[in-house]
Formats: sequence, C-alpha cells, structure tokens
Amino acid sequence: MTAATFATIGAGLVTVGAGIGIGLIAGRAMDGISRQPEATNKIQTAMIIAAALIEGVAFFCAVICFMALGK
Amino acid sequence: MASSEEFNLDEYILHHLTDSQEWHLPFLPTIHLPEWLSLHGVMLLLSSFFLTLLFGILYKKEQRVPKGLTNLLESFIIFVRDDISIKYLGKEDGRKMAPLFCNFFFFILMLNIMGLIPLFSTATSNINITAGLAIITLTFMIFGAIYKNGIKGFFKAFIPSGVPAPVLILLIPIEIAGLFIKAFALTIRLFANMLAGHIVIISLLGLIIIIGKVALPAIFLAVGIYILEVLVAFLQAYIFTLLSAMFIGQMLHPDH
Repeated sequence: MTAATFATIGAGLVTVGAGIGIGLIAGRAMDGISRQPEATNKIQTAMIIAAALIEGVAFFCAVICFMALGK
Repeated sequence: MASSEEFNLDEYILHHLTDSQEWHLPFLPTIHLPEWLSLHGVMLLLSSFFLTLLFGILYKKEQRVPKGLTNLLESFIIFVRDDISIKYLGKEDGRKMAPLFCNFFFFILMLNIMGLIPLFSTATSNINITAGLAIITLTFMIFGAIYKNGIKGFFKAFIPSGVPAPVLILLIPIEIAGLFIKAFALTIRLFANMLAGHIVIISLLGLIIIIGKVALPAIFLAVGIYILEVLVAFLQAYIFTLLSAMFIGQMLHPDH
C-alpha cells in the first residue's frame, strides 16, 4: 500500500462526501421550488452559494490528494 | 511526440496545464517567450487587451436603445450590478463597488473562455493568478471595512453579539481565521475547478494516444465534458464574483 493508493482512496471518499452534501442541497431546493415556485430565484441563488461552499472544501481535499499522489 | 512505449501521460498532461515559457500554436512553430514573461502572463495581457477592445471600442454607450453586442454586454453588467453588487452591499456601496465586481466577472470569464479555445492556455488554472484575484477581495474585506467603519468598527465585526464572555475566547480567533480562510477558499475553488475540468478533457483525449484507434469514441465524451466546461466557465466567474460581494458585504455591514 503506497501513498498513491491512499491518495486515490481519499479522492474517492471526497467525492462521496461532496456528492451527498450537494445532493441534499439540490434535493431540498427542488422541494422548496415545487412547494413555492414564485421563490425560485431566491432558492436557486442560495442553493448555488451553499453548493459552491461545499465544493470548495471538496476541491481543497482533492488538491491535498493530488499533492499526496506526487509524493 | 514520443513513441508509444516511452509516452508518459502524467507528464504530457502537466506540461499542457502548468505555466511554461513556450507557447504552442496549432500548425505554426512554437513561440519561445522571454524569461520575464510566462505563458499565463501572456494570457493575462491578451485577456485585458480583449476586454479593452470589447468595452472600449465595440461597446457603444451612446446608443439609446442598446442593440446587438452592446445589449448582450449590458445585460451582464446590469445583472452584476443589481443582482450581485447592490443585493449584497446595499444601494449606496453597491453602486460604488459595481465596477470592481464587473471587472472580476468579465476578467475571470474571459480567462476561463480563453482556456477553452485551443490557441490559448488557461490562466485561471494557475494558483498564483487566482490567489492574486482573491487578495484583491481580501484587501477590500480588511481595508474597505476599516475605511468604512473605522478600526474599532472593523474589530467589532469579529465579536458576535449575545454570546457569553468565555465562549468569545474561542470564537474570536475562529472569526479572524475565517477572514483568511474565505479568501483561501476563493483561490482554491476557482483554481481547482478549472484545473480539474481541463485534466478530465486531456485525460479523455489521452486515451486515444495510449490505446489507439479503438478509443476514438472518447472524442464524443471529451466534447460532452467540453460543453460542460463552457457552463463551468460562466458559473465559476459568477460564483467568484458573488462570493466576493458576499464576503465584502459581510465585512462592510457587520450588523446584518
């Protein structure tokens, strides 16, 4: 088991976490939009912001995995 | 290009994504750049040239009813001003700061889109450039807040109201660290998004070089990802501008 093995496993775990997080956000946003279609714009903006914040953490971890891969 | 036995995909991908002194042109000899100017530096200069061309010459301000290109650009500018700047900074500051956010939006958008055109290279996949852009945001978050609220008001923003004193010892360092983490997150988000997208495209095309003719359908996959990247180019420019406006707005108006 080299560092590269763990780095690739780590990248996979990052994807799982980010996927669950963004999936939950998108799902709740869909719920909100279907319940209140007139608030679509507000919900969409809030959804994109929250998704971007989660994505930032995910990318941060992905970059660390890349760095471990190079070692 | 090396023969297939000694072909190293990792090196090939990195060579095409990292900053270098060579500018590869299709069907033309490679341009060797001088030492003080790297490839991504050229891209920065070119994008500012294109933006000057776009807004200095092609954008016709005197048109009463905007038509064609002017109309397109104007809709973006109005969007950035009303939906990003004024929404998060208030009416007065929002109008004043709108030029900064328009600059962020169009500059990042131009760099992202240039990265998708085969002739050019992606400057936003260089962490130094995204860090430079985030430092501008950080500067406004710190010095803009000091300018507006005074030094006392600036530090007051780090003290959340209605919290017992012992908890503050824990909270204040977190709030101050958060200031820099926000800027750092802006850097990483833009950089990693652009880099990851281009790695995926080149990896898919690299399959053809490694496996041979069998992998030709990978072109369709690559085109699909490419179309997704066009969306990402717009989205990332929007998100960078939006989050910058949000963070600066939080520091300028700490009470709400």
